Amino acid sequence: MAVVEDTREQFIRQDGKDKVTGLGRYTADLARTGMLQARFRYSDHAHARVLRIDTSAAKALPGVFAVLTQDDVPDVRYGGFVEDRTLFAKDVVRFEGEVVAAVAALTQEIADRAVELIEVEYEPLPAIADPEQALAPGAPLIHEGWAGYGGNEDVVREGNDCSHSSIRKGDVDAALASADEVVKERYVADMSHAVPIEPRAIVAEWQGDKVTVWTSTQVPFIARSGVATTLQMPEADVRVVVPHLGGGFGGKCEFHFEAHVAALARAARRPVRLVFTRREEFVAPDHRREGQVLELETGVMKDGTIVARRARLVLDNGAYAADAPFFPQLAAMMAVGPYRVPHVSVDAHLAYTNTTPSGSVRAPTAPQSCWGLELHMDAVAERIGLDPVEFRRRNIVHPGDETATKQVLETIAAAESLERAVEMIGYGRELPPDEAIGVACGWWPTFALPSGAHVKLHGDGSGTIVTGAQECGTGSVMALPLLAAEVLGMRPQQFTVVYQDTDAGPWDAGASGSQTTTNNGRAVVEAAIDVRNQLLELAEEVLEAARADLELVDGRVRVKGSPSTGVDITELAEKAAGDKLLLGRGSGSPPASPDCDISGCTGRLGSESFLAPTFMTHAVRCKVDRATGVVRVLEVAAAHDSGRVLNPVGANGQVEGGVAMGIGMALSEGSQLSDDGRQLNPYLLDYKLQTAADVPEIRVEWVGEPDPTAGPNGAKAVAEPPCVPTPGAVGNAIAKVAGRVRCLPMTPMRVWEAMQR
Amino acid sequence: MSATYTAAATLPEALAALASGARPVAGGTDLVVGARQGKAPLPDSLVAIHGLAELRGIAETGGGGLRIGALVSHADLVAHPAVRERYTALADASAIVGSHATRHVGTLGGNVMNASPAMETGGPLICFGAEAVLVSESGERRVAVADLLTGPGRTAARPDELLVAIELPAAAGGSCYARLEYRRQMEIAVVGATCAVTLEGARIGSARVAITALTPRIVRVPDAESALAGGDGGAGAVQAAGDAAAAAAQPISDVRASADYRRAMAAVIARRAVTAAIARARGSSDSVPIPASPALHGADRD
Ligand SMILES: Cc1cc2nc3c(=O)[nH]c(=O)nc-3n(C[C@H](O)[C@H](O)[C@H](O)COP(=O)(O)OP(=O)(O)OC[C@H]3O[C@@H](n4cnc5c(N)ncnc54)[C@H](O)[C@@H]3O)c2cc1C
Repeated sequence: MAVVEDTREQFIRQDGKDKVTGLGRYTADLARTGMLQARFRYSDHAHARVLRIDTSAAKALPGVFAVLTQDDVPDVRYGGFVEDRTLFAKDVVRFEGEVVAAVAALTQEIADRAVELIEVEYEPLPAIADPEQALAPGAPLIHEGWAGYGGNEDVVREGNDCSHSSIRKGDVDAALASADEVVKERYVADMSHAVPIEPRAIVAEWQGDKVTVWTSTQVPFIARSGVATTLQMPEADVRVVVPHLGGGFGGKCEFHFEAHVAALARAARRPVRLVFTRREEFVAPDHRREGQVLELETGVMKDGTIVARRARLVLDNGAYAADAPFFPQLAAMMAVGPYRVPHVSVDAHLAYTNTTPSGSVRAPTAPQSCWGLELHMDAVAERIGLDPVEFRRRNIVHPGDETATKQVLETIAAAESLERAVEMIGYGRELPPDEAIGVACGWWPTFALPSGAHVKLHGDGSGTIVTGAQECGTGSVMALPLLAAEVLGMRPQQFTVVYQDTDAGPWDAGASGSQTTTNNGRAVVEAAIDVRNQLLELAEEVLEAARADLELVDGRVRVKGSPSTGVDITELAEKAAGDKLLLGRGSGSPPASPDCDISGCTGRLGSESFLAPTFMTHAVRCKVDRATGVVRVLEVAAAHDSGRVLNPVGANGQVEGGVAMGIGMALSEGSQLSDDGRQLNPYLLDYKLQTAADVPEIRVEWVGEPDPTAGPNGAKAVAEPPCVPTPGAVGNAIAKVAGRVRCLPMTPMRVWEAMQR
Repeated sequence: MSATYTAAATLPEALAALASGARPVAGGTDLVVGARQGKAPLPDSLVAIHGLAELRGIAETGGGGLRIGALVSHADLVAHPAVRERYTALADASAIVGSHATRHVGTLGGNVMNASPAMETGGPLICFGAEAVLVSESGERRVAVADLLTGPGRTAARPDELLVAIELPAAAGGSCYARLEYRRQMEIAVVGATCAVTLEGARIGSARVAITALTPRIVRVPDAESALAGGDGGAGAVQAAGDAAAAAAQPISDVRASADYRRAMAAVIARRAVTAAIARARGSSDSVPIPASPALHGADRD
C-alpha cells in the first residue's frame, strides 16, 4: 500500500488540466472536413398512428444532403431487455420525443428548416401519462404487438406492464395481523433527469465500409453493438471514440443515436455532426429517472421490531423499455431497505406510458424508493412513539443477518454508518423551531461484470494502461494508474491511460453501475501482475536470485531483506526492449453473486442478491421558511461503507456530488407533465438544479472494512450510493417542521401546502 | 441569412442604425439567450451598443438624484455606494439577477427595455419615480418608467429610440425589493415586491408599494400604500399592506406555482419588503442588498 499512500496527495488526474484550462475537446468541438449538421424531426404527438411521411420538400431544399426515415434503414427491432424499439418511428409514435425522420444539411439553420418541411400525417391515439392508469384494467395498449417482441426471457411482462418483480418471504398476512401497529402510506415521486452539463453530441464519418463514431456516451462498447445491430454490420467495422465526456450520470448509458448519425453520414457521403439542444436532452433520450408510486405497509411491535412489510410499487417506464426492466426487482429490494424484515411481500411493476422513456440514472430506482421508505420509517417510529434513529438502530442489518431474499450479509457496516452519521451531525441537540435534523439509511449493490485491460511498459520504463473502461468524470479511469503502480512498485505519474476508443481497449460495460474500479480495477491489477511476473523473470537473471526472494519497491526490483541489491525497472525495461515485450493482459473473473433463495418470487433479473453491498446514512440539518415553504439544507453528514477506499479525494468528491444531486431531487428537480405526457419544464430555468450557492457543507466519513468479495483490495461501489439516502433525510427533516410531504420533489409549494393541512 | 451585426462606435452611428431598423443589443443576456431558447428569433439587423461611453457611468444630478447610464451592469449597481444607501431596493434587485456572470454582463437598460413582468429592477424604479431618457435622431424625450412598461415585452419606446439613461429623483427614507426564491441563484421572480417609505418623525410619511410578476406589468398597489402612509408602520399596517398586495395580484397557475400559492406569497413577500423598508428608513444597519441580508429571507442565510 505504501506507494499509493505516499503519492495520493500529489496525484493529479491525467484529464484534469485539459478540463480545467478549457483545452479539453468534447464531441461538439470536433470538426471534420466537409462535415454536415444533423437535426431530428420529432413526433408531433405523444401517441399517434403515422399515416404518411412526405420528405420531398425537405429533400428539395438547397443544402440538404440526406433525409432519412425508418424506410431507409434496416427493419430491426432492438432493446437489451425487450426489443420494442426501432431507430425511427415505425407506424406508431409513442412519446413526444420519438424520432420520425433525420436530416443532414450544410448548416444547422438549413437542417432546422428542412425538418419543418417534412410532412407527417397522423391519426392521434389516446395518450397515457399516468403509470397507474396504464396498468388499470381496460387501459389502451401502448404496444399493441408487445407479445411478439423478442428479448430477455426472464422479463415477466403482460400488456402495459413491461416488467413485474416480486419478493415473497414468510407469511405477511399473518405477521401484519399479529403486529401491534400497522402503518400504511402512499408516496409519489415525479420523474426527474440526469442533466449532464454537456448535451449529447455525435459525429460520424465513413471510410469505405467502416464507420468511426465520436460520441458522448458512457458506454462505448454498447453503443458499438447498437450501431452494428441496427445497421447490420460487423462490430469490427464500427469504431466508437469518446472525446472528453461532459458528465453522464447514467443519462448517457445505452445505445441512443449513434446509428442515426452513422446512417445519415452514409447517405450523405459526408461526415455528419449532431448536437442536442438542452430541450432535446430532456425530451428525446430514453434515460430519465423514473417516477414511482409507492404503497408501503409496515407491521411493527411496540418495542420497535419490524415484523412485516407489504408494498406495491408502480414505476413509470415511459414509451420504451430501454434498460428499465431490471428496475422493479431493484426497487423491491429498496422498498425493504437495509433492515431486518422477517415477512415480506413486495410487488413492483414497470408501466409503459406515453412519456420519454426512463432508464438508468445514478443508482436507478434507489433515491426515490429510499425516500418513500425512509419517510415511512419515520412515520412508523412516530406511531409507536419511538425516536426515528432508535427505531432504525433496532432494525438495521448487522453481519450475519438475512435479507428479504435470504442472502446472508457478511462484511457490512450499516449500523456503524448510522451511528457515525448521527454523531457527526450532533443528533438530538437543541435547534431553533424552524430547523430539524432528518436521518435516512440506504444500501446499494456492487455490480460484477467482465472487463479487460492491458498494461505495457516502454523501453524507458514508463507505462501505459490500455483499457476499454470509460471515464464519465468520476475519475475512476483516471485513478487506474494508482492500482498498476501499486502492483509494480512504481509511481502512478509514470503511467498514461489509453481509453476512449473501442479499437484500442478490450470490451468493458462502460461508465455505469459504479463498476469501473471494481471490474476494470480488477483487470488492471491482473494485467499489472502479468507484467510484474515478466519483470521478475528478467530480474532473476540479472540478480541471480530466486523470484520468491524478490520484491518491487520504489521503481526497483530488489532482493528482500537486502534492499541495496537490486535493479531499476527502467534498466529491465531497456533490456527487455531488445527482444521481449513487457505487455500484460488481465480480466479476472467477475465475482459470483452471493447465494440467495427467491423461491416464490417473480422476475429474476440480477438484483435478487447484492454483491458486496454498500451502506450509507445521511443526516441533514434543514431550515424551513414556514411562511413560504422554502427549505434550505444547512448541513449534511454522510457516513458511507464502501469497503476499502482506494482514492479518498475521488471518493469524497463522489459523495459531495451525489449529495448535491440528492438535494436537487429532494427539493427542486422534477418534470411536470401535461395530461398527454409532454414535459412542461424541459429547460433549466424551470427544471431547477441546485446551484453552488445552494449546496451546504458536506462532511464525509468512511466506515467499514475491506470486503473480500468485492473489487481490488476490498473496494465496493462508490459513485452511485451517495445520492440514495439524501432525499429521504431531507424529507424527514422537513416533516419535523412542516409535516410529511408525500410528493417528490418536496417543492416550496408542496411544503407550504403540507403546512396548510 | 441576411443578418447583419454592427458595433456602433458613436451614439449618432447607433441612432442611425436604429433609424434604419436595427435592434440594439447590450449585454445580450435577454436577447441572445432568448433567441437560443426559441422565444423569438434573433433580429435580422443588430447594432451592439456596448462601446458607447455616453451610456456608461452613474452620476449625481443637480436635484440630489442619480443618473444611471443604460449600460451600467447589475454588478456595478450593487457595488455603487449611492445606490446602496439611497436606492437600496434597486441594489436589492440587481444583486439577485441571475448569477455572478449574468450580473457582470447584463445591463440596467437591457433589463428595463426587455420589459419582462418578472424583471427585477422595474418595481424599484417605479417606486422611486424613475424616468427613462430616450434618444433618437429626432431628439430626446423622457418617459416615466411606470409609463414606459406597457405590457409583457412591450414598452412605450419607439423602435428608433435608444434608452441612454435612467434618472432617479432624490430619495429619502428606506426601501427594499424582495423576491420569492426557490434556490439561491439563477432564479426568476415568481413573486416580487418593492416598498419605499419616508418617515415623518416616528410615523410613516409617504409609501410606495409595487408588485412584480403578479400582474401583466409591474404595478403599484395604492391600497397598500394608503395602508402604510401616515401610520405607525406596525404589524397591523404591514399586514394590511400585504393583504392589499395579494388582493391586487392577478396570479396565474403554471409550472412555477399555482395561483393560490402565488397569491399567498404575494402577501408574505410584500410584508417582508415593507418590514425591511421601514426598518431601513429607521436606520437599521441592514442596508446591504439581499445576498448578505439574512432578514429578508426569513433569516435562512446562516
Ligand atoms: C441566466 C440568466 C439569469 C437571469 N436572471 C435574471 C433575474 O434574476 N432577474 C432579471 O430581471 N433578469 C434576469 N435575466 C435577464 C437579463 O439578464 C436581464 O434582464 C439583463 O439586465 C438584460 O440586460 P442585457 O444588457 O443583457 O440586455 P440585452 O439582451 O442586450 O437586451 C434586452 C432587450 O433590451 C433591448 N435593449 C438593450 N439595451 C437597450 C437600450 N439601451 N435601449 C433600447 N433598447 C435596449 C434589446 O434590444 C433587447 O430587446 C437573466 C438572464 C439570464 C441569461
